[in-house]
Amino acid sequence: MVRPKSASSKKQKHGVDFKKIKRKIGRKLPPPKNATNTQIRSKAIVLPEQSVASEREGLAVNKKGLTLRELMQQTSHHNAKIRRAALTGIKDVLLKHPSELKLHKLAIIEKLRERICDNDRVVRDMLYHLLKSVIFPSSKEEITAPIISLLMAYIFNAMTHMAVDIRLMAFKFFELVALNYPSSFMLYAEKVLDNYVDILRNNQIYLVEKSKLKNALGGLAHCLYLLSNKSQEDDILNNQNQSIAQQRGLYAYKSEVNEDHAGTASFTGKTKALVPVLINSFLESTSNIRTVDVIDAQSFDCMLCTLQCISLAVKIYKIDKPHASVLNGPDVMQNNMNIYLRKLWETFPVSQLFASPEKDDDKYIILDIKIAEIFLHIVNCVNDTNFLSAKLLGFIESLLLVGKHTRHKRLHIEKHMGFLLPFIPKLLSQVTGYWKSRLLEAFTCSFKECKVDSKLFLAYLSAVEELLLVTSNLGLLTYASSCEDFLGYQIAWMREIPIILLNLGNKHPSSTRVALKLLLRVGQSSIPNSPLGIEYDCLQFPLREFYGIKDHAGSIHYGPFMKLPSDCKELAICCFYYFSSLTSDFLESVTYCCLCDDMESLILLRIVEVVQSAYKSGHVPISEYIGFLVTLVARFRVTPERFLVERKQEKVSNRKTFKSLMGAIFGCLSQMGDKSLVLKLLFKNILSEMLLKLPFNNFGGLLRMIIELDTKLSKLLDEEIADLSKSLSRYLVDAASCISEDPDVAHRFNQIPAIDYYVKPCIILFIGSNSLLTYVLQLLDNFIVEDSIVLPSEFCINYGMEISGRIHAVTYILMFMLKYVILHRSLSRNKAAIEHILLNMEKLLESDKHGRSLEETSKLRSGLDQLKTRIHDLLQIRDTNNLAGA
Amino acid sequence: MEVVIASSPVDAGIACWDLRSGSEQHRYRTCSSAAHGLLSVAGRFLAASQLRDSPSAASAPIFFWSWDKPQVEVRSFPAEPIGPLASNSEGTYIMGGGLSGSIFLWEVASGKLLKKWRAHYRSVTCLTLSSDESLLISGSEDGSVRVWSLMMMFDDIAMSAGSDQFRFSFSEHALRVMDIVSGHGLCNSIVISSSEDRTCKIWSLSEGKLLRSITFPSIIDAIRMDPGEHVFYAGGRDGKIYIAALNAECNPNSAHGMFIIGTLYDQSKAITCLAFSMDGVTLVSGSEDGFVRVWDTRTKHVTRVLKHAKGPINNVLIVRQPLYHTPISANSKHLNLLLPPPLSKYVDSVDGEVKTKTVIMPQRACHDPQDTRFFSSYVMEKQIKELQKRNTSGAAEMEIDKLRLECKRSVQLVLQWKKLYQDLQSLYASELIDGDQMSDS
Repeated sequence: MVRPKSASSKKQKHGVDFKKIKRKIGRKLPPPKNATNTQIRSKAIVLPEQSVASEREGLAVNKKGLTLRELMQQTSHHNAKIRRAALTGIKDVLLKHPSELKLHKLAIIEKLRERICDNDRVVRDMLYHLLKSVIFPSSKEEITAPIISLLMAYIFNAMTHMAVDIRLMAFKFFELVALNYPSSFMLYAEKVLDNYVDILRNNQIYLVEKSKLKNALGGLAHCLYLLSNKSQEDDILNNQNQSIAQQRGLYAYKSEVNEDHAGTASFTGKTKALVPVLINSFLESTSNIRTVDVIDAQSFDCMLCTLQCISLAVKIYKIDKPHASVLNGPDVMQNNMNIYLRKLWETFPVSQLFASPEKDDDKYIILDIKIAEIFLHIVNCVNDTNFLSAKLLGFIESLLLVGKHTRHKRLHIEKHMGFLLPFIPKLLSQVTGYWKSRLLEAFTCSFKECKVDSKLFLAYLSAVEELLLVTSNLGLLTYASSCEDFLGYQIAWMREIPIILLNLGNKHPSSTRVALKLLLRVGQSSIPNSPLGIEYDCLQFPLREFYGIKDHAGSIHYGPFMKLPSDCKELAICCFYYFSSLTSDFLESVTYCCLCDDMESLILLRIVEVVQSAYKSGHVPISEYIGFLVTLVARFRVTPERFLVERKQEKVSNRKTFKSLMGAIFGCLSQMGDKSLVLKLLFKNILSEMLLKLPFNNFGGLLRMIIELDTKLSKLLDEEIADLSKSLSRYLVDAASCISEDPDVAHRFNQIPAIDYYVKPCIILFIGSNSLLTYVLQLLDNFIVEDSIVLPSEFCINYGMEISGRIHAVTYILMFMLKYVILHRSLSRNKAAIEHILLNMEKLLESDKHGRSLEETSKLRSGLDQLKTRIHDLLQIRDTNNLAGA
Repeated sequence: MEVVIASSPVDAGIACWDLRSGSEQHRYRTCSSAAHGLLSVAGRFLAASQLRDSPSAASAPIFFWSWDKPQVEVRSFPAEPIGPLASNSEGTYIMGGGLSGSIFLWEVASGKLLKKWRAHYRSVTCLTLSSDESLLISGSEDGSVRVWSLMMMFDDIAMSAGSDQFRFSFSEHALRVMDIVSGHGLCNSIVISSSEDRTCKIWSLSEGKLLRSITFPSIIDAIRMDPGEHVFYAGGRDGKIYIAALNAECNPNSAHGMFIIGTLYDQSKAITCLAFSMDGVTLVSGSEDGFVRVWDTRTKHVTRVLKHAKGPINNVLIVRQPLYHTPISANSKHLNLLLPPPLSKYVDSVDGEVKTKTVIMPQRACHDPQDTRFFSSYVMEKQIKELQKRNTSGAAEMEIDKLRLECKRSVQLVLQWKKLYQDLQSLYASELIDGDQMSDS
């Protein structure tokens, strides 16, 4: 056997017939000697433009110049490093060119989903972040259910993967999807819950991978949250859609986007299976920790998450079967659950299990809070007071009182306490006797302690609202008997509201809104003359500060009301409709607000409206109401005092506001009853305001008020008319001397000369009441001579007006009167008085010639002459008419 | 014939005009009605709840007038002052809202107070029935609107269980509710409420939630829907009637505000009440200045102004009167007899629940509103007793009716017999002839 081999080798060695040409394969022939060396050598190649690169110019590329297509191919490369690089590249491209994502979203997701089951942890993490930060946020609406289902297929695949790592990561992916597309969640909920149960049953996990487990539990908590809030979620979605729906008709069909995909019925079974598993895992971890003695952060988080899941699961269970008894059911499953709940109950004050409770006190308390929440859920749904033992109630009480002793601790726990507060109203209705009063005391105490800027504040407010309204609802039926013990606490809560409002100031409008709503609800539901109603009335006093008060020095301090947004203001205004009688102090502070310069006209009108309807339903005494109306007209500051500014358009004038305010007040007056009687009631207030030397606008406003009520002044006494005439003639002189000073400037308001606007009300009054005119003419006569018009409350002080000025003013007034033909008859009746005035003027002009220049004298003289002739004409005509008539 | 009826809070009587011609017909005296307190009970008679003489008075009456007499005919004195009134279309029941927040339910035919319940914290300001008359919707001074199922109000077991008696309670209004109207479409309809907080809110009766809230430039005291429910008309305190869209297209940046399409305006003072005519075009408004204005909603112009009195108007109704209701009616005596007894003050607890059961009489052929009667067994018993005594006019009348019917039936019977006889005769005759022919052949 050996020989042939050696023979063949010999043959090869000694070839005789053919000369062996030795050739090495792959080697080239040497170049011929005359060949030119074409090699180019340079230190660097600089290419201004490369053909391949230029092609890519229009395309979307990442930093490395790769297109999306190439990158996607690379994602399935067998080398993990290249896959990672590809994912970073995709992120880069998508960030640079968002349009790319829109165009190829299907292709991208189809390719990327394969990476969910990737063996490399880093790749999965990168994919997670890519989805989370780039793809989902930027295409929220475009990713539809079918696309989600593409993803879900792979996620489910990963959930049942052999490697624990991948499985846990899959839950994380699922959480991400559920977070971004809650509507799609319902379709898969059942299957996902199954998977959760599976993984939680696997005991090894919590020994090994605490942080991963925490992720998974977080996802579960989210899912359960979605399930439990399904109904609310729909409402929110509906509300969001409402703004769109409002554009359409009311009867339009609802969009089907918000339709439920499935009922919750099928989930109850799953959640029921979940609860024992979760409790088991909780118990397991507590027993683990007991050996370690100290809770480390991770295991604490895990436990917390577990408890959260349990409480959510219990909540879902409750929603589905509101009347079913969780604990006493005949079902084996329920018995099972019962046992587990008992086990959980035994662990309740978690700190008792550990040797050194001082160290991690907060952590234990937080766990306790969670457990308490679970049992409160159960108590809530089955109305079973078994668990309402001293253990639980005592814990809640101590929790409520925790802030009293140690403030810093409270801040830490606050976040978790928010979950317990919503149960308190229900709890208080279930507990009786000794514990009830203790809990009420504790709750009231902690409510008072609560800072307005804390996160718990709104929770407290809503609990208080529920408590107040629950009992007042009861009040409808059995009002006196049942809530005796409650009453004291209710009053304490109500008294807190004004303090809260003041503390809130204007920095937390949303909280203020809630507090005001609470105040309004309390007002609406307080029955007049009941203890609560009386207490509500008493709130007026502290509330004054909310609107505005005057201090001893006389300056006004505006409360937070003035700076709130207008919807809060409206709420605050509505509140005072429900006071059964508005006190004068309170009305005063409201009036300060009304007269503030910063007041918006809409709110001002609303205040007038609300006070009016309060008056109509008998909540405001008439004297207060009259005072309120007259004060508004008399004190409202019309900002450009004259009409001059109107032309320049520099400042915003509030003249329009004044006008609409007057309109509103006329409306109020007209509804008060017989007008001349109302005038009689109002007159004293009006007159006393008139004496205060008001600005023209306000005086004019008061006059208009009188005109609106009764131009004839029929019900007024003679003395009252005399008093009115004094103010009136002073006003006329002021107006004439002041406004006629500069006749060249066109004081105009709606094309009416300013003087017309101011004096016309007087003329209308003169037309209505003859005696008023007589008085005024007499006063003017005196004024010409004595330079004074004595107001009822004043001493005789000279006006300090030059004779020329006096003559000018009176001439002006008389001329103005003459312009109105309708007034002529009344004037002619007072012929003697007018002639006397003329005579006096004549005399004065004669007697005091040296005091002024010739020019001025002639001017006055000509005016006077003109007046004289006109009056003469008038009286002549009247006389002849009278003669003819006779 | 449609007539416009208007009343006022000051004692100016109830005026009555023909809607088409504008001629004044009657003036019913001594009436100072509460807002929403004027009612025509199924077109049979007028009822108006009266305001108190003074704010301290403990009670105020409810008056009834028959169509043809200006004087008050029936006076009832309920336990507390009644504001709004409502009745069902057959006029079987009258609902009244009390000052303390209670709602009263009376049976008209007997005057019995069937039910009284605490509905609101403060006084009831308006009452209305849903289109199928199964739900009562009440608005109150405390700003709440509540929906009551009338049937459930008599469910004593549920009541004693202490659960909420109302079906829905809407508390979104901040101030007093001024008016409520309900739309068509059975219990799926919408309800519009207006309030002193300057908003009108539209609610869904089936879902029990707020559908839309419209803010107006002034307080809305009165609202009416147009029959097609495209728009609703809202009478404001500034004297304008705003037209707000329900199903109609609206301009989002309209001058008056969101959803407000336009206005009707005629220099009037505050609009206090509105009524829609059956023709679906004519709107009638009552104003604080004492005028009733008739509008054509197509042209948006006033077609007629009717003067009521000096004082403000707070109720306007349009009532369809049967044609024979001429001032001198032939059967006026008969009608007077029909005016019911006064409404009782308290719930009668002595005669038990057996007697408060209602019985629906079979309808007769002629569709006369006077004849559709729904009576409680109590009334029936009374009538039976009357019949037994056979001495009242009603009994005699019923007897005559019965005899007439019997006579008619007998005549019919006779005719039937006659026909049968004739048939038989012809049959036998033909058979005889046939037999003869057979035998002949």
